[in-house]
Amino acid sequence: MESLVKKYQQRFRKVREEMDRWEQLQSRLISLFQNASSIIERLQVVQNPKNYDSCDIRDAVLRKQLDSLQAILVSISRTLEGLHGVVLFLEKMYNDGSQFARGGSDQLTTKQLQQRVGIKPCLQDCLNGLMLLYEMHRSEYLLKLSLSSALSTLALRPTSSDLSALHQLLVDQPNIPKEEVQSIFDTIFAEEIC
Amino acid sequence: MSCCAKTSPIFHSQATTDLMNGSGPHETPTVTNFGGQSCGRDTMETPDRASSQNPSSPSLPASVARLWRPAAQRNVRNQWSKLASCRQQWANSSSSGRSHATSLVNAYLSRMYMPSMELGVLSDMPNIRTKACAKLFKQQELYRGQLLLSYKDMVAIVTHMMNSSRSMRSYVKSTSSSPLIQFSSDSEDHNDDGDGGGIPVYTFWSILKFEQLAEELVGMFVSELILKRLLVLNLSGISCEGSEVDELNWSNELYPGEFDDLRICNLYSNHDCQPVIPRLMQGKSDISALKSKSQQNRENLEVCLATWLTEVNIDALRADEIMATVGEEMHVSLS
Repeated sequence: MESLVKKYQQRFRKVREEMDRWEQLQSRLISLFQNASSIIERLQVVQNPKNYDSCDIRDAVLRKQLDSLQAILVSISRTLEGLHGVVLFLEKMYNDGSQFARGGSDQLTTKQLQQRVGIKPCLQDCLNGLMLLYEMHRSEYLLKLSLSSALSTLALRPTSSDLSALHQLLVDQPNIPKEEVQSIFDTIFAEEIC
Repeated sequence: MSCCAKTSPIFHSQATTDLMNGSGPHETPTVTNFGGQSCGRDTMETPDRASSQNPSSPSLPASVARLWRPAAQRNVRNQWSKLASCRQQWANSSSSGRSHATSLVNAYLSRMYMPSMELGVLSDMPNIRTKACAKLFKQQELYRGQLLLSYKDMVAIVTHMMNSSRSMRSYVKSTSSSPLIQFSSDSEDHNDDGDGGGIPVYTFWSILKFEQLAEELVGMFVSELILKRLLVLNLSGISCEGSEVDELNWSNELYPGEFDDLRICNLYSNHDCQPVIPRLMQGKSDISALKSKSQQNRENLEVCLATWLTEVNIDALRADEIMATVGEEMHVSLS
């Protein structure tokens, strides 16, 4: 039983690495999002010919800004693909993990699943943790997908309050509560904390 | 006092790294004239060089050509790596110029909004608005000076680029005293075009090809530079009152020696006795409407800043492409 727990802890280490990758992608996403918002906020002023002395400049500036916006939107969807990759990895970790426990040569009993040795986590803790982490990231990924499509829509008729609301949602990651994630890892690696 | 001088900035000066890129079909690398003026000597000689590219009539004896290639390779590589580092410096100067311009505009707008600003408990302080305005004006002057310095840096950078793009050739040094054949960047012999008779420098390209690409690249920066000059002038105008505005004229130097620098970049028209009028790379007409008003509204200023940021005359994708293909030809990486 102890060796099984060790194997799960190994999984959680891999999960943590993937979550670090998520964080990198998240900060990249935030900066892309900010760049896109500043262009979108500028667009109204930039596309108004009255603000220019020369129409050529207006066309050139507007075209450059739209090109940049386009490029940023492409980078955003590429970053989202990266996040999707993390979600798929977590899904695999969870599915393999539950097969590991349930589909093995001999079915583990509920008692075995909940059996605890010292402060080490029980198997049920491990399975729940993997499932929770997967579900959190999956929901957050879906939220980010809809945020990015909202951003593209806003580009056509922007209001700055909407933009800042989107930004706040993106930064907050409401589906991944930090304390809960921490407590999952604290349970799994309890012996390393003391 | 200071707290009301720091009222909320109108534009964020955070370095928004918008992805700069150009658009549309890339022009084929042709020799473009910088700023609408021909490059004098260089352009006049081009037909001769084109004919001397014919390998059947090499202008250098085989032994000299053998020695010429390593010298030419070294020189071309040096010039291109200078161009690459200039490009990086340009990005830095342009971005610091933008943040100075943003601060300048913010200080100006805060000053304009001061009379209507809600000062709350501070409004009881004597002369609070006058003092705040005076302080903002000082800041504005400071930022104007910094913006000008950034512009000056950019002029220097483009001057270097121009010099590099014109120094691709290696000429045989006439050495009657020494048995060694040496090469220099100055032509001493009218029969020597400095291009090794048009033979490939590395694998495929003759000197002429390297020059054409350098000219195309530098041309973007040259035309962007003069557009930036227009913006500097516009933004400096908002800072001045009354008589000072007259000094901010297109035909006056922004700093001592500016016109000498601009002449190197073919950006000074001796005929009109003033810098050439900015044009857009893909535009049809000159941007002739030059005005430096003492009063500008917020939208005009924001558009000014956006024009600075977007670098409309620099097609970053094409520039990357040029750097990449040149690097490939020379078997080095220019970044």
